Amino acid sequence: MSEPTKQIKFEDDTWTPSVCMGCYNCCGIKIHRVEDKIVDVIGDPAAPNSRGYICAKGKARFLDLYDPKRLTQPLKRGNPKKGLGEDPEWQEISWDEALETVATRLKLVREDDPRKLVLAHFDMPGYGISKAFGAAFGTPNLHWNRADYCGAAPHMAHLLLNGSFNGELDFERCNYIVLWGTQLGALAETIPLHTADMMADARARGAKLVVIDPFCSNAAAKAEDWIPIKPGTDGALALSMLNVLLNELGLYDVPFLKEKTNAPYLIGADGHYVRHESSNKPLVWDSIDHTAKAFDDPSLKDVALDGEVTIGGAPAQPSFQKVKEHLKQFDVEAASRVTTVPAEKIRSLTEEFAKAAMIGATVNIDGHDLPLRPAAIHFKRGSGAHKGGAHTTLAIHMLNLMVGNLDVPGGQRGVNPIGPFWAPEQDDDGMLVPAQHIAKYHKPYPPRQPKIPETLDLNELFPSALFTRGMFAWGIRDPEHFGIDYTPEILLHGRTNLMMNSHNPEAMSEVLAKIPLQVSFSTFIDETTEFADIVLPDSHDFERWDLFPANDPYAFIAPGPGEWYWLMRQQAIAPPDGARPWTEVYLDLAERAGFIDELFAHGKTMWNIDERHALEKGKRHTVKDIAERQAKSLIGDDFSFDQLTESSCMITREKTIEEAYPRPFMKARVPVYLEHLIDTGEQVGQVVEELGIEWDLRPYNPLLQYFPCHAHSEPDADFDLHVVNFKVPFITFSVTSENLWIDEISQANPYTHNVMINTKTAKAKGLKDGDRIRISSHHADGEGTVKVTELIHPSCIGIPSTLGHWARAYSVSKYKGTGFNNFLPAPDVAYIDTLSGQTDSCVCVKVEKLSPAKRTQP
Amino acid sequence: MSKYGMVMDLDRCIGCNACVIACKVEHNTPAGINFTKILEYETGTYPDAGRQFLPVMCNHCDDAPCIDVCPTKATYAREQDGIVLVDWDKCIGCGACVLACPYDQRFQVFDERTMFPGGTTDFQRPDVQRADTGAVAKCDFCYHRIDEGREPACVEVCPTKARIFGVTDGSDPERSLDHLIEQDSTTTLLPEKGTKPSVYYVSRGE
Repeated sequence: MSEPTKQIKFEDDTWTPSVCMGCYNCCGIKIHRVEDKIVDVIGDPAAPNSRGYICAKGKARFLDLYDPKRLTQPLKRGNPKKGLGEDPEWQEISWDEALETVATRLKLVREDDPRKLVLAHFDMPGYGISKAFGAAFGTPNLHWNRADYCGAAPHMAHLLLNGSFNGELDFERCNYIVLWGTQLGALAETIPLHTADMMADARARGAKLVVIDPFCSNAAAKAEDWIPIKPGTDGALALSMLNVLLNELGLYDVPFLKEKTNAPYLIGADGHYVRHESSNKPLVWDSIDHTAKAFDDPSLKDVALDGEVTIGGAPAQPSFQKVKEHLKQFDVEAASRVTTVPAEKIRSLTEEFAKAAMIGATVNIDGHDLPLRPAAIHFKRGSGAHKGGAHTTLAIHMLNLMVGNLDVPGGQRGVNPIGPFWAPEQDDDGMLVPAQHIAKYHKPYPPRQPKIPETLDLNELFPSALFTRGMFAWGIRDPEHFGIDYTPEILLHGRTNLMMNSHNPEAMSEVLAKIPLQVSFSTFIDETTEFADIVLPDSHDFERWDLFPANDPYAFIAPGPGEWYWLMRQQAIAPPDGARPWTEVYLDLAERAGFIDELFAHGKTMWNIDERHALEKGKRHTVKDIAERQAKSLIGDDFSFDQLTESSCMITREKTIEEAYPRPFMKARVPVYLEHLIDTGEQVGQVVEELGIEWDLRPYNPLLQYFPCHAHSEPDADFDLHVVNFKVPFITFSVTSENLWIDEISQANPYTHNVMINTKTAKAKGLKDGDRIRISSHHADGEGTVKVTELIHPSCIGIPSTLGHWARAYSVSKYKGTGFNNFLPAPDVAYIDTLSGQTDSCVCVKVEKLSPAKRTQP
Repeated sequence: MSKYGMVMDLDRCIGCNACVIACKVEHNTPAGINFTKILEYETGTYPDAGRQFLPVMCNHCDDAPCIDVCPTKATYAREQDGIVLVDWDKCIGCGACVLACPYDQRFQVFDERTMFPGGTTDFQRPDVQRADTGAVAKCDFCYHRIDEGREPACVEVCPTKARIFGVTDGSDPERSLDHLIEQDSTTTLLPEKGTKPSVYYVSRGE
């Protein structure tokens, strides 16, 4: 018997190697085109970040190319009124009319006050184009998106202690892995295909995985120990663990503290470093010579970490001594009451972690004797997206620091603090200053001088934050509150759904409605595009070229040993007639508005193009042309697109040992005591006083604190539950849920479209599976469907991903699931971390059964 | 001649559903039909609760009830390797096999459902034949890929290598699954049904 015919062969059958944009991670892929249709996508076997694998999101995305609601005709708004539920009354216009309208307005605004232009998108390789566009135009208001939402505080902790933007860990050697409010290895985090496999290998090898999370996430499902915690109390847990580590167990890496941190720096009564009279360098105490010396004095024999000394008649203490004493207040039993984690669990977790770190152990790698610290804690948004996000994530990361596991074999590691053309620096105080190529945005250290904001993201009020994108909504809504003397005139928006990804839509709608001209680059008319005045049909990323490399090393090249690899996004199929890549349209607009030469002039340095491949004045270079010049500058003159037929990944060389395990080779120190925050806090205090605004200066404290969230500090009998959010491995932000195939697996999954409630809580409230409930926070209402489960902390309800779409044009995901962000408040001093700019995701809600079950959204 | 099998390493499966989409893409199945799925179960009670992912698909049984009940012999085991297939030319859509399969892994295609609501669109894969309306469709172990020396789509895609494809009859020592199947903890689904599945499940049993 012969098999049924299933696969049909064609002559036109092409694979285009490229880079996925299913999330931000830039995995290498190969796109299969047959008879002018994309029919499949696989992982690129030659790309180290995918190695031939691909996730559900990446695999499903080509279906979006053929979604019947794709835009191919520019539109203009017919209804001048903007608001929730308003029909935009779209009218079709030509590309020429659309571009001319926008370019004319751009010209006028640029002559008037270029700061009145705001650029909004979340599109990694597109940042290069829009940065040059913004610089040439003259606006500082760029990159309104929610990249800060998950990471403003955690990234800050990584920049301060690793000199890198992101963190990861040594899966090959680590024996004790703690994931704190995050899902590394469960396809919901950075370098996901690589880390998923590495994590599975680590577990198979016997590494213990502990996950601290209010919900038993996909990552927690694989943990030996899932530790549920009351939402937002992570800081209390971390500080009590530090107390156990330093004051109960006395386990810490003394040589690491002495050589790699400011732990020995002497602190005076005013909290500042005690400095050398002539050199002004911070002093340490030489415990052999019994005298104070500059931290880098070559005659230093041994430095003190403990005790108190007298210098010039005034008392001083090593900062480590101050830290240790400070931590005594974080009593384990008290922390247990706050976090609901049993006291014995806090102690055993701390002890297991510290012992697994094997303080003092070494390993020989390629002839180098390096410290071996096979225990690591990894953290992200779950712990960081709270009122005290910066202090909380720093406290968690300080547990890594104390056992000396930072960027050494076996331990926690930053993502590429040292690379082929970047390295961190050391300032005059001996402290680590991350490389700009890796810090990417503002550096948390050294802090900037705060001032009255000029930028609508208010970053001038956050001089130690890397980005404050969540503040755009506040700055645009209320510029006069911050002494900003202009209001935005034009918003160029695309590829970020601000209505879904920020806070409650009603508050956001007021912000968007304030902007006279919103231009949206869109493939579909999503919730944010509904507020546009002009809509320009965007391409799918399979239809475009991008700047090179697509994978920025600050986050998208795996840290640790391996190779430096660079990926090129290549066009696999032409966009449909009428749709164009937004990056090319940006260049068109710059040309029409008369600043294309300036854009390319800025681009030349921003894009790392060397002299020999310089852009030509007066020429409208395409993105592909620019990418080729970038690739030739980085890889060499023999680069050609013809080489990229099998793979779009170019490997330049193996990492050196210094790049793979940087810390033992780095002289710069990292802080256990954030001395710089004293002065910065005073400066911020002066600015907010001048502005006459309420501000929270408590985080400007060199010693780490626990700041309960607003939701904790004002208990309310009615609003008796917290609400937590978590990622699912097959959905990216608000984006992929509109994909039919993704929707199928979401519907089949017991959790994705539901609201999780602990069995006991559900019983107390008379709720059962399938009940429709109204969920109300102090800020907004929403609805959901109950899933009773053992997998969630009884004090909260759980809502996955960014769901509950309501856009008129949406057909697949509309009203499915519940939108977590809908319950969040607009930014306000009570709900932000004034140090990192992180917005607080902690809110209280009440739930009521809806009967009869019916939808009233939105 | 080889006898093929698959081992699901439950310790490695993270429930990411990449296999489900890969299968969907490979077979261009109609809306609502998936030849493989990830089922989820909860174990224990809070706070000592756990969450299990269970990938399921056609078990390509040695004693397949679906073959026994098929009145037109549309369902058959391929001679050279025992892969259980459906010949759509012979299938009359009576549904007997759907009822007979103890694993719920046979799917009747009732209508020409288009991928997107509201009618046909540009998305019609030119390179893959869709299951005939009225016929019964199911996992075919990606025989077209196996015949080319490739792995099934669900295996190739799996980011954690939780699915392992190989032979179970010793015909190819390099691809033998015997060392996994012979572990004490190895199970099949519903062994009491006597179907002798070719899909095995391993776990350290935590």
